[in-house]
Amino acid sequence: MKDDFVRHTYAITIKELKQLRRDPVSLVLTIMFPILLIGIFIVIVAAFSATSHNIPVVVADLDGSPASKLLIDKLTTSPFIHVTQFVQTEEQALGAVNNAQAVGAVVIPQGFGRDLASGHAFIVIETDNSKITSSSFVVGAVNSGAQSLLLEVTRGEAGATFSAKVASVEVITRPISGRPPTGDTILPGFLGMIAILGAFDDIVNAISRERERGTFPRLALSPVSLFSVYSGKMFATVVLTALRTALMLVIFSLDGVEVRGNLLLIFLTTTLIAIFTLSLGLAISARIRGSSTLTVLEIAMTFPLFSLAGTTDSPLLLAPGGRAIANSLPWTYGNDALRRIMYLGLGLNSITGDLLILFISSLVLLPIALILSKRTM
Amino acid sequence: MSLSSFIADTLAIAANEFRQFRRNRSAILISLVILPLFFTASLGAGRGGAGTSFSATTDIPMAFVDNDLSVASNRLWQTLASSPDFHSLSQSYDEQQSIGLLGSKKIYAVIVVPKGFQNDLDNGFQARIILYTDDSEPGVSDQIQSTLTNYVQNFNPNLEVQPILTQAEKQSIAGVEIIQKGASFAGFNVGLTIVLAVVQIFAGFYEIAGGMSREREEGTYARLLSTPVPIEAIVLGKTLFDLLLSTARTFIVLGLAIYGYGARPNTDLLTLLTLSLLVALVTMGLGFVASALKLGQRAVVIVEFFLILFLFAFSGLIIDKELLVGVSQTIATLLPFTYAFDALRRTVLLGRPLLSLTWDLEYLIMSGIIFYTISLVLLRESRERLIR
Repeated sequence: MKDDFVRHTYAITIKELKQLRRDPVSLVLTIMFPILLIGIFIVIVAAFSATSHNIPVVVADLDGSPASKLLIDKLTTSPFIHVTQFVQTEEQALGAVNNAQAVGAVVIPQGFGRDLASGHAFIVIETDNSKITSSSFVVGAVNSGAQSLLLEVTRGEAGATFSAKVASVEVITRPISGRPPTGDTILPGFLGMIAILGAFDDIVNAISRERERGTFPRLALSPVSLFSVYSGKMFATVVLTALRTALMLVIFSLDGVEVRGNLLLIFLTTTLIAIFTLSLGLAISARIRGSSTLTVLEIAMTFPLFSLAGTTDSPLLLAPGGRAIANSLPWTYGNDALRRIMYLGLGLNSITGDLLILFISSLVLLPIALILSKRTM
Repeated sequence: MSLSSFIADTLAIAANEFRQFRRNRSAILISLVILPLFFTASLGAGRGGAGTSFSATTDIPMAFVDNDLSVASNRLWQTLASSPDFHSLSQSYDEQQSIGLLGSKKIYAVIVVPKGFQNDLDNGFQARIILYTDDSEPGVSDQIQSTLTNYVQNFNPNLEVQPILTQAEKQSIAGVEIIQKGASFAGFNVGLTIVLAVVQIFAGFYEIAGGMSREREEGTYARLLSTPVPIEAIVLGKTLFDLLLSTARTFIVLGLAIYGYGARPNTDLLTLLTLSLLVALVTMGLGFVASALKLGQRAVVIVEFFLILFLFAFSGLIIDKELLVGVSQTIATLLPFTYAFDALRRTVLLGRPLLSLTWDLEYLIMSGIIFYTISLVLLRESRERLIR
């Protein structure tokens, strides 16, 4: 009996994998999805880590002093902003931002040079804050220009001296991973998302495909037990999850990302994420029958999960309501475990709690899902 | 063909679409419940309502290690411990033990005041504090560093109670104050512009391309094309049906955002509705093109998935177009949805009048016309092939 169960489960697993191989659309989704997600990550990281940008900025120099000219030099040589226009008045500068001709306007007020010599000057920046990321780059570039100007002034290189008040306390950050600050920290979360979406897609398709083709009754009439049918389908999902995880790890390595920690632990975590997700997929597919409807549902849940399951940002940074939702989602613990293994190189004892939550959630959900799914066969 | 019969055909197609929609509970659930409600509610949960503010660092457990044990370091501790941003800061006496706890989820940062802190300040040097962080939590290190810097960069060891600094004073660097103008927006309001467009793109594409491919798979597509109803009436009828659904979705998203999460769009309802429907129209045009390419239902869904991911990377949704590099920026410039997101941000956040966004509107309308023209040509060819 035990031998039969293993043999039948194996047969169903092979059948599922063969069917996937014959379905080019599903096969493309399985393989392309990780690659596409990583592609997006590369675009995002490339944008944030680019050494130069051409963010349009206008400048109004109302002072015309050597100090203001020096500041303009600093701004025009900034690698991040591109001074597109010099205007005569503050209104014209602000108008350029309001009319979307520039992301930022820098106004150097009258008396800037004199105030700088006395130790307290000011600059006005107007930014188009509807462009969140580029406006922060503008502020950063102006800050950097002002700092550079001050350095020259205090050294007497600009022909004026004053006692500059430096920031009293500097904060030096030392991340415990010892890694340089890059966007790599979100990659483990991406791996978690791929495990979630892949497993959901695999199981709902395995079920809805049988339903749509009317082959479920035939399977039920075969000498294979229903338990073997479901075990086979779930095992195929687990095999595919392992393949996707391996593919992602290869991509990470090609991208130069150092994966610390035990690879087996990574596979164990993605497997547990997949088992919980396929339990949910089974439960949902008992109510919603169409495969395309289920896939739409899968896509719809992807985007909120990016923020609520700690994929791109830590759940610690969410609003209290969001944090409560994040803490109630087992996926959050899976993503957390993946980060700790891959990023910090921690071992099983550090992630036992996370894995237990995933395991217990699956243990609760899987029997319910199986009962629901069996009823609607 | 008379205009009245064209209108009658168009309305018949729209009515047929409604009947089919009414019979499909899953479609109703996805189109009018899951997409608009789920997306908006998730945004509200993650970012908090528009009227609420919260400090991201308040509840993050951190340790403060004072190795200087001076008056200045004690004042720094008091400043941080009494601030609303460091509610979960606790004092620790063992630096190594505290650092060892990082990564265990018990604490996420250790602020260390090194020996000589007061001495440096008294002698006019720049003092330093070291911040050890658990950088496996994405974004947490940057957030703590930024908040901490705000508190310490103008720290005065001679004052028992540190003055509350204005935003301008916080940004003041070494004698040059940087006064930043320009409205700042609640995260929810920024997210609302994204949700409004993404919901329309998501649903519009699925309803048009998915609906047509469903008809093809059920065998009713060929029958529809071989009826005397003109292709234009079929396309217009389906568009009318989806415009009504898009209107309902716009109201659902805005209703929840305004009444549930306190969002205050800086523009009027008509502008919002016009832009939202314009986005829906462009997407529907793209959906008709996809359906004319004879994609199956599942292929439509996959194309939709890739389309949405594509938008996330290239349409200014996460990264502004100005920051994209090389070919990414060219793609962003060509994508009509880039202009849709831009128009929504400029109206909802900045309160610009709709008609002042000439280029955005022109690009969106032109894209819609191009998509509809291509799909009409392809669908006509398809009908001719069927008749032959």
